[in-house]
Amino acid sequence: MEDISGALALIGYGLAAVGPGIGIGIVAGNAVQAMARQPEAAGMVRTTMFLGIAFTEALALIGFVLFFLA
Amino acid sequence: MGQLVLAAASCDPAEEVICTPEFVNELFETQVVFSIGSFDVNRAMLLMLLAAFISVALLYFAFRTPRVVPTKFGVAVEGLVTFVRDEIAIGIIGPSGLAYFPYLLALFLFILIGNLFEVTPLINFPITSRMAVPIFLSLLTWLIFIVVGFAKNGFGYFTGVVWPTSVPIAMRPLVGLIEFISVFILRPITLAVRLFANLVAGHTMLSILLASGFIFLKSVGDIGIRSAIGLGWFGLGLGIYLFEIAVSFLQAYIFTLLAAVYIQSSVHPEH
Repeated sequence: MEDISGALALIGYGLAAVGPGIGIGIVAGNAVQAMARQPEAAGMVRTTMFLGIAFTEALALIGFVLFFLA
Repeated sequence: MGQLVLAAASCDPAEEVICTPEFVNELFETQVVFSIGSFDVNRAMLLMLLAAFISVALLYFAFRTPRVVPTKFGVAVEGLVTFVRDEIAIGIIGPSGLAYFPYLLALFLFILIGNLFEVTPLINFPITSRMAVPIFLSLLTWLIFIVVGFAKNGFGYFTGVVWPTSVPIAMRPLVGLIEFISVFILRPITLAVRLFANLVAGHTMLSILLASGFIFLKSVGDIGIRSAIGLGWFGLGLGIYLFEIAVSFLQAYIFTLLAAVYIQSSVHPEH
């Protein structure tokens, strides 16, 4: 069998992106539901949604930075 | 990025598989423009000064003379300023947020202009993609929210974090430890890394797509009709270009929003 070569860090980044991907999907989906049910609260929901996305996204970004460091 | 894309023309896709044009490391090793003694001044430093100058000039020229009917430019800048004041400062922190509004506005404008340098023709270099800028801004925010926390609540701010009374007593050491790490150590790091990584990713993506599209289109004589795939890369690069403008605004907003949320958690630690 041929040796597999390449950057292992790429796989690490891919794994690090899975969790936040699911998380952001849940956050954004529920925010859309909340806005559809309660349109007058859309502003508040949007702010909270961005906060949630920002916190979730941090994990993917740490993976991205580690990809450069590795 | 502009220099990188132009330098990429020296690559030959018919012969070379891996090509490293000049300026490929521009994000991490910026060239020295001039030196004062042993102090080197590079392009990123000059752009930082330019960003600070633009954000001051923007506010000065928009609000220099009070008008009954503002100019179009005045309305645009006023929109940004009132957005930061009403949505971020007062909306997140509450009525006492007006005290932090100047800091938040300075943060927002500086980061926004630094981000927009990424898509400004002839500059094409986001200063916020150098770790020094986001880490300094986030450490400043960290210092502010800790000082505000101690000033408003005394030592109760610290004990409120490490000994949260709202959870059962058996859980308090564990929750306190997690809270301590997340509040005092992870907050400044994630705040800086989020901005930095978004801008580095955007800049790298733009450079790769535009440079590779440019290489293919330049070498139409060598590889013939196959160079048409360069059109796809170039088109995708231009699409990402528009996306990056949105990212610039979003990341400036998120940085300022999180700074306000952190300050709010120091002003009213119970919530």
